[in-house]
This record gives sequence, C-alpha cells and structure tokens, in this order.
Amino acid sequence: MSFEPKILGIACNWCTYTGADLAGTTRLQYPQNIRVVRVMCSSRINPSFIFRAFQLGADGVLIGGCHPGDCHYNTGNLYARRRLAVTKKILEFSGMEPGRFRVEWISASEGNRFAEVVREFTEQIRDLGPQTKFKISQ
Amino acid sequence: MAISFEQIEQHLKTEALKLLESGKVILVLAYGRGYDANHPMPYVAKHPSDVDNIVFNEYCTANLARYLTRYPRRTKIAIAVKAADSRAVVQLIQEDKVCREDLVVLGIPVYGMKNFKTGEVIDSKTTGGLYNPVLYDILLGEEVHGQPVSSPYDVLAAYEAMDKEERWAFWQRELGRCIRCYACRKACPMCYCDPCFIDQNKPKWGEKSPESPGNLMYHLTRFHHLAGRCIDCGECSRACPVDIPLYLFHKKVAKDCEEMFGQAAGMSIGDKPVLVNFRVDDSDKILE
Amino acid sequence: MLVLKKTTIDKLPELAACLMEKGTLVAPVKEAGGFNFRAITDAAQVDLIFHNTILSPKTVFFPQTEDFVRYSVYQPILEAKPVEPEIRPTFLFGVRPCDVKSFEIMDIHFTRTGVPDPYWRKRRDATIIFGFAFDTSEEADPAEFYHTLGIGAADPDGSDVFMLRRDDVLFLKAVSPRGENLLGGLAGLTDAAPDERKYFDDYIAQGHDYKTRYTCVDAEAIAKEFEAIFHNTDFWTKVSNACLSCGICTFVCPTCYCFDICDETQFGQGVRRRVWDACMFTDFTLEASGHNPRTQVYQRLRQKICHKYSFHIRKYGPISCVGCGRCTRYCPVNIDIFSIVEQAVQAKWYKRM
Repeated sequence: MSFEPKILGIACNWCTYTGADLAGTTRLQYPQNIRVVRVMCSSRINPSFIFRAFQLGADGVLIGGCHPGDCHYNTGNLYARRRLAVTKKILEFSGMEPGRFRVEWISASEGNRFAEVVREFTEQIRDLGPQTKFKISQ
Repeated sequence: MAISFEQIEQHLKTEALKLLESGKVILVLAYGRGYDANHPMPYVAKHPSDVDNIVFNEYCTANLARYLTRYPRRTKIAIAVKAADSRAVVQLIQEDKVCREDLVVLGIPVYGMKNFKTGEVIDSKTTGGLYNPVLYDILLGEEVHGQPVSSPYDVLAAYEAMDKEERWAFWQRELGRCIRCYACRKACPMCYCDPCFIDQNKPKWGEKSPESPGNLMYHLTRFHHLAGRCIDCGECSRACPVDIPLYLFHKKVAKDCEEMFGQAAGMSIGDKPVLVNFRVDDSDKILE
Repeated sequence: MLVLKKTTIDKLPELAACLMEKGTLVAPVKEAGGFNFRAITDAAQVDLIFHNTILSPKTVFFPQTEDFVRYSVYQPILEAKPVEPEIRPTFLFGVRPCDVKSFEIMDIHFTRTGVPDPYWRKRRDATIIFGFAFDTSEEADPAEFYHTLGIGAADPDGSDVFMLRRDDVLFLKAVSPRGENLLGGLAGLTDAAPDERKYFDDYIAQGHDYKTRYTCVDAEAIAKEFEAIFHNTDFWTKVSNACLSCGICTFVCPTCYCFDICDETQFGQGVRRRVWDACMFTDFTLEASGHNPRTQVYQRLRQKICHKYSFHIRKYGPISCVGCGRCTRYCPVNIDIFSIVEQAVQAKWYKRM
C-alpha cells in the first residue's frame, strides 16, 4: 500500500479558492490528498498555522493566494509574500525538507493551474515520504 | 587603541549627572555594581546622588533598551547604549514604542565586552564589526576605528554548511534542553507583547510543558516574530541558563531578511520594519 | 556509633554501578551551561567533580512535568485513567548540604499542609540521599550564603549518607538507619581508620563556621521589617528596576514549589499534568475575569521576596531559602536577592563578610 500524503491547503477566498472551484466545475482531476481551508486573504495566514500543521501530522502544506498586484484587499498578498518567505527560510534552517512547504499564486480563472499544482505537489510529497520531524509522536 | 572602561564610566557619570541636575531627564538607564565587580546589574539613576553608583566595565553586556517599554510615553529617559543596544533603540522608535524626543541616547563606542558567566569575549557573536552606536545624542568616548570588521553572519557558515538532517539533529538537541523559563523573551528588547503568544489559551499556540513539541512551537514562532527586528545583541543566548545558542537562528533569519528585503534591523529611524512593509517588485524568487 | 566507610575517587564508577543495580542512580552530569541531576546510564559519568547544579535536586521529587490523568476525548463518555508514577528505589548522589535542607522545607508544603501530595511522598520515601560536603579549603562561591541561614558547609543533617572528599579518598558516613543499612550492603567500601574518623568529625564541625557572605540573620526581625515596608512602593520599584521578571530564579530555586495544571490534548488523546509555574511570570495572577492584581514587575518581585522571607516565617516558621545562590548566579541581570533583604532591613544589623 503506497503512502498517501496528507496535505493541508490554505487558499485565499477570492482567487485560489475560486480557482479550485473552477477546477471542480470543469471536472478536472486532481489527487484528493489535499484538504483545503479557505481564508479571506493570504495575509490572514499566521506562520504558526504552518508550524502547527506540521506538528499535527501534515506531510505538506500548500498556500494559494492572488497574484501580487491583484489582491482583493490591494496589498494583503504583498505582506504575505514577505512573511511566508521568512516562514520558508525558518523551516529550512530548522532542518525540515524544503519541498514540503510551497506558496503559489493562482488566480480565479486558473482552474487548470490549480489542478496541475496540486498534482505536482502531491507527487513531490509522495516522493519525500511521511513527515516525521515536526510530527508529534503519539 | 585600547578601550578605557574607566574613562567611559567617568563620562557616563558626568553626563548622567548633568542630565539629572538640569531636569532634562527623570531617569538614566545605566549600569550599577552587582554582588561583585564582575557581575554588574542594570541600574536606574533617578536622583543626582544615584550617579555615584553608576559603573561601566567589560561585563556590562545587558541591553538596556529592554527597559524602555516599561515606562509610559513622554517619560524623559537617558539611556546608555553600546552598538547593538543603539540598534534596539532605533528599532523601538521605528515601531513607535518610544519617541525619539523622549530619549537622550548616550552612545558607548566599545569592543572587548565579555560574557560575565564564561569570561568569553562576545564581539564576534553579536554585531561583528559594528563597534560604534548607530544612534546617539552624546558619544561617551572616541569612535572605534581600526578593529577587525567582519560580517555578523560569518559565524553561521558552519551551520549553513550542515545538511538538513544534521541541522535538525542539532536543533532538536539544543531546543530539547529548554526549560521554558522565558528568560530569552524577557531579556529581548523587542519582546514587549502583552500577552505573549505562548501565554495565550484561546487559541493555545503551544504546549506549556518543556518538551519537544511545545519548545519547537515556542522557539520557531519567536524566531519568526523577531524576523527583521532582531538587532543581534545576543542577550537571549546569554540569559539562557542552559546555554542554547538562540543567537544563531536569529542571525540566520536576520541574514535572510537582509538578503531578501535589502534592510537590516535597527539601522535607521526612517525605515519601516521589513514585515510591515512590502515592495510591489519584491521578487517571487524569495518563495522558492 | 554509625559507620564511616571510604573508597577512592577512581573507584567511584564501581560504587555507581553497584547502586545502579539496586535502583535508579541520580547524580550531577555535565551538560551545556553547567551540571544537572540526571538518571545515570553510564557509571563512568559519576565523578562528583562539580560545584553545584543549575536546577536544584527538587527535580527528583517534584519533576518539571508530572502526568496525573490520561484521557481520551472523542467518545460519548470521556475516558480517563490516573497515571501511576513509576517509582523505583532511587539514590540521589551528591547533594550539597543547602539542597538537602531544602527538602525539609519543601516537605512542609507537600506533606504537612492541606492534602498530602502522594507523588512527592512516594518519591521521597523511595529515595536515599547521599549528601556531599562543600570543599572548605576553597573560598566560598560569591553567590552562596547558606551560612547566613544556619546551614554548615559540611552539614550532614537530613542526608541518609553523608560524603566528604579528601584528595583521592571519598568518605561515606551513615547518618540515618536507612543509610547504615545501605552502606553495610555495598561492596567495595572499606572501613575508615580512627584518625580518619577524627578528620571527618572535625571537618563537619569546622564546616559550621565556614563563612559565606553575610552574617547570621534573625528571621523574626526580617519578617517584621518586610511587613512594615510592604506599601513602600519607592523601595520596591528601586529594587526591581533591573528585574526582567523572567522566571529563572523560581525554576532554579530549591524551595520554590508553585505549579500550574494544564491539559494537553492532541488527536483526541491527552494528559492532564502539573508543570512548574513562577510567580514572576506576568500572567501568574491573571484571573478569568481578565483582572490581574500584579501587572507591575515590582509587585511580583515584592511577592516573591515577601513570600520567602516574611510570609513563610509567619505561616510555617523557617525562611523559605537555603542560601544556595542559584537565583543570583543564574539571574540574567545579576540581581542579588539577599541584598534586597539587606536593603529592606537597612543593613542595621547585618554586615557584609
């Protein structure tokens, strides 16, 4: 039985989540390993969510937001870009595998791209294997 | 050019006396004698007669900027700062926690400061190469020139060279020793949040027990909260009773922020802290 | 006449191995930053070359985390089981006299007030204490002041076995019946000669005169002074100017016992446990309403000092301090707690040594 990754996806309401909806309505296939949480803007994301997700057993975390410049709230994703870049550096320096955390800018019309990114990311996590470093052992 | 700690102490006392007598400030944040000469304490002089108790020597490593946020706004304060401490003052001004007009900054240009627990010279562990305060109203000595200038990030080379497994093992070992005394948080001038995230219950961001999950959550989140704000004084690591080298991680985050956003913490009053700022042309490469 | 045995320092690992066969051996181990009491896994680690540990040995009886109840939540009826602490016979090896005395003070809180704490009691009953004299040929560590509180540098009071090192020889004297029983059963120890017995007794006696800083105190007088100056905000603000209110002094102190109970749940399984707390923490007195009577640092420092040097005397008799000096040694800003006591009583009676 091959390993089925548990992936947490956090998608901003206006772009990525809508894009994911589009992928759904156009019947695009993508792996069901991703569990999507909707936030109003990518800048709502507290880096502690990501650390906590890994502690609670997520094998991968994928963040999706509007393209910089297109944020529904004008500047949210510009802050998020900086903040999540720091989160990525911290995860790397602590020794977490770099491929487990990814940020993508996916707009509402990019249903295709959403499906593609999820497919790619799921495969990447499958190759990396279960995440054991942060995960709280039972 | 050797540093004369006695001269600096003299200048400090002279200026403190002038400021208190003239009423320009109501308190002076400086150093005083502790239980012996090698263990000085932070000292607050409020009356001209208190000035006699002020000392300055190579063990006066405490970053006095951490006391600035204790006093209400509009309190006129004189503060003795070394290079890294002056950066903390600048950073606090940037974050609007203290007003420039309320401060008289007494800058101390110095090198050869020592850790009072181990006797080790700490210059290379902190702002490496920065010996002169970046902000001051009165300089309590001559500017230091001719000392070796290195990058504050040189000490990271060995850790950046480790592969991720080694690094993980290293941090698990170090952070595993943490007893959650929170001295690091209290020693840091930039940790002024009330309540601190780790003390909150709804939501509970991290476990209270000094075990791996809670320790990791506490420290990693703290490293994140200090991104672009840590001014590299090293106080957190010196305060730690079990010797966790927190300064290494803070330095790494500071280095990454400087590379990604082109700005170091606490250098110029007009700057905006990096994570409350953005540039429309920030590169997406930083997310790779 | 209780026996005096001896062995040599290089045969310590043998003694350690012997004790490890009988139970858990806890001794000071060198770690980053200093020494700490740990359960020994390698007998060669035991060498008694240390001055004192960072955390006090109260960790053996009052660990930093103690699990009480394990529970499981996602069920119609919550399932909960008390956790039975696993306690083996324990040998606490190398405890300085001031720390041994601290156990007596802590016994008051854990066994003689309110509901006796079964966890403390069980651990205490299962442990044999090997006290270890300070080296009086060296000058006293500047942070320590146990002599001020009536504790001798070689005080065997409270230990089951008391140890003293003389060059390469380690003397072990049975102090309690349990200690005598144990020593009788340990191979590799030889009897000490009569002149060695004299040396031992003389050392203990002169240890009572070994001066640490400060002179002897009058607990009653101190308690009264603190009551008198409780509302003197200027005094308390002055002495707390440097205090970070971090919590290190509480954690390293052998006589601090405050704790918090918290529930830690993940994935529907959890444990209710006791963890150390500190009155120095900002939210120590934070109430459910949101009100916090001690928001200022001076209020918390006043509480800590008055508890130890004033309220404790009134309620229980002894000063809640053994002069081990850890609070001063590990304070990040070098605050000297006993100098605050001295300042409070305005140094009228007390002289610095």
